Amino acid sequence: MTKKIAFWIFLLGTIASAVVFLAATWDTHKQVATLSNVDKLSDRVVAGKRAFEKYNCNDCHTILGFGAYYGPDLTRVVQRIGEDGVRFRIKDPEKAFAKSFRKMPDLRVADTEIADMVAFFKWVGEVNNNDWPPQDSKKRLSRGEQAMVATVGVSPGAAVFQAKGCMNCHALRGTGGTFAPALDTVGRRKTLKEIEQYVRDPKSVNPKAQMPPQKELSDRELEEVAKFLSSL
Amino acid sequence: MEYRSQKIAYWYFAAALPLFALQILLGLYLAYSYTFTVPQSIVNVFPFATARAMHTNLLVLWMLLGFMGGTYYIVPEETKSEIYSEKLAYFQLIALLATGVAALVGFLFGWTQGRPLLEIPRPLDLVVVVGALIFLFNVAITMIKANRWTAIQGTLLGGLVFLALLYLFGIPFYKNEVIDWYYWWWVIHLWVEGAWELVSAAIFAFVLMKLTGVERQVVEKWLYVEIGLFLFTGIAGTGHHYYWIGAPRYWLWIGGIFSALEPLPILLMLIDTMMHVKERKTPIVNRLTWTYAVGCAIYHMIGAGVWGFLHTLPQINYYTHGSQVTVSHGHLAFFGAYALLNLMTFYYAMPRIKGIEVYDDTRGKYGFWIMCVAMMLMGLFFGVAGVIQSYVERVLGMGFMTAQSYMRLWMGSVFFVGLTFLAGVLLTVTDLLTLRPAKVRA
Ligand code: HEM
Ligand SMILES: [Fe+2]
Repeated sequence: MTKKIAFWIFLLGTIASAVVFLAATWDTHKQVATLSNVDKLSDRVVAGKRAFEKYNCNDCHTILGFGAYYGPDLTRVVQRIGEDGVRFRIKDPEKAFAKSFRKMPDLRVADTEIADMVAFFKWVGEVNNNDWPPQDSKKRLSRGEQAMVATVGVSPGAAVFQAKGCMNCHALRGTGGTFAPALDTVGRRKTLKEIEQYVRDPKSVNPKAQMPPQKELSDRELEEVAKFLSSL
Repeated sequence: MEYRSQKIAYWYFAAALPLFALQILLGLYLAYSYTFTVPQSIVNVFPFATARAMHTNLLVLWMLLGFMGGTYYIVPEETKSEIYSEKLAYFQLIALLATGVAALVGFLFGWTQGRPLLEIPRPLDLVVVVGALIFLFNVAITMIKANRWTAIQGTLLGGLVFLALLYLFGIPFYKNEVIDWYYWWWVIHLWVEGAWELVSAAIFAFVLMKLTGVERQVVEKWLYVEIGLFLFTGIAGTGHHYYWIGAPRYWLWIGGIFSALEPLPILLMLIDTMMHVKERKTPIVNRLTWTYAVGCAIYHMIGAGVWGFLHTLPQINYYTHGSQVTVSHGHLAFFGAYALLNLMTFYYAMPRIKGIEVYDDTRGKYGFWIMCVAMMLMGLFFGVAGVIQSYVERVLGMGFMTAQSYMRLWMGSVFFVGLTFLAGVLLTVTDLLTLRPAKVRA
């Protein structure tokens, strides 16, 4: 190989990579509106981002996985601990982390700024980011359900059935509510797919159904609970 | 030293060294905060976030000073001419230092842009840009006037211009957090896996050529292939940061494939360094400088090549993303690729500027080995903590602080090894600032 050939390797390699990269950048800009729900990117959300930057939150916490690793990731913080949970921790960290060996500074953030940040976190939490972080993934069972599976030895679907309060209305083997039909033999009447459909949106199956749609179930939870019921 | 203006480099290096020591001091505070409880009253006035902003900005500042100093040293020899304006070079040094100090003090009072690694407030960014323009102007004019182009010069200038351009993408306020991270990585990734690789490959090629006496034709041929591969893999490889930010799904493919190839140019650099050292045409005079060169090539491969590769595929990155695994890689890569490169340049140039032909390298040797071993251990401890975190928090889905409590032992180990690292740094910094001729061996 001569120096001249080496130079051409350099030039063509660079151009090839840059073309791929810039083309994908162009396309990313076109898709990002949908992926990040730009229609919901309100002034309040932007104000929240400014407050987030003003207090340098990102040099302790990651968001979308980037930043510092001293505090928990904030991508899905609203889904995880709720809006009140977020407000309380920013407003009074001394109390919120009284028992923790790691402290969060009290930065005297104004109430309006806290409200803005909550809006910002809520918006970030809904970005379609290939389901990261895994601990907040919709593909997993909640922490309580996992504990039941691990310690009591029930099937994941049974754990969901128990933890999500299905038994407030339905009964199994005589235990549970009487407001709705007992489900002891539901598996003989309905297929797995039918159960999934019903739980997600009862009215789509029976317009007169009184059961509320179980919207807060994650995909994984729905799948597990349907599997469990169809086996009865 | 053949040209008077090469002396400029000395002051850049001398300014960089204390900043390096200060960076490590703040790093120790960070490791301490991970392990022990810092009381609320202190956290309220000096949060972790402030210390981290200082730690990372000091890193960037001292390394950029090193690159600039390196450039001022190399360009006269390469162009066979003096730097266009020494006055501008000194002015620019003072401006950069003043900006740096203003930024660091500002952080203490909460004056920040609030984006990781890019905390320097926007008004100061403008000063940085002006300083960069002066620097580029000074260097470019020198090269253009001399008109003796070489691949090393071209790579150096190209890398520096690329570096400066990328900085611009970090200045605006982006309303959309997704877009914000998209361009944040144009600065961070395209710096360390693009522009900085070019600059350091050029500096490295120069020093290696001078040390080993291998012909320019050979060195520069390798240089082209390496920077070609760096840019081919590194530009589209930026995609390995776009997996989980809300960018389209094809980035998993682009980022995964291109970045998995990123170790290749680093491996090539290691191979050609070994070959040149083996086929050297000159005797080894200052052994420590050679040790730094070989050490840098090996450590670059470990920290950036191996450690980077380990978590660059999306299937793995899904679990390690944003954990101490990232930290482990960040430390080994920056130390291996850029800290050692800069220190090698300092050990190459500073004795020559001072007119010391053979320098006494007793202290320096200890400094080198203490730093290298301590940093390797730190990298391993961060790595263990990171694997624990990925498993406990990400796979098992347990709480953040639960995971942290399992990691505490390892973060504590980082702190204690960090103290050793600091000792190595202090030794090295003092040694470089007070170089003396070796005693003639009887
Ligand atoms: C000398 C070269 C390099 C340096 C100095 C370097 C430094 C860093 C730093 C500091 C980060 C963390 C940034 C942050 O989130 O705050 C990072 C992230 C990363 N680096 Fe490198 N790197 C280098 C080369 C490489 C190479 C060659 C690869 C791949 C083969 C690589 C793969 C990665 C990946 C995958 C991440 C993202 C980690 C995450 O998920 O957050 N790096 N690098
Ligand atoms: Fe990268």
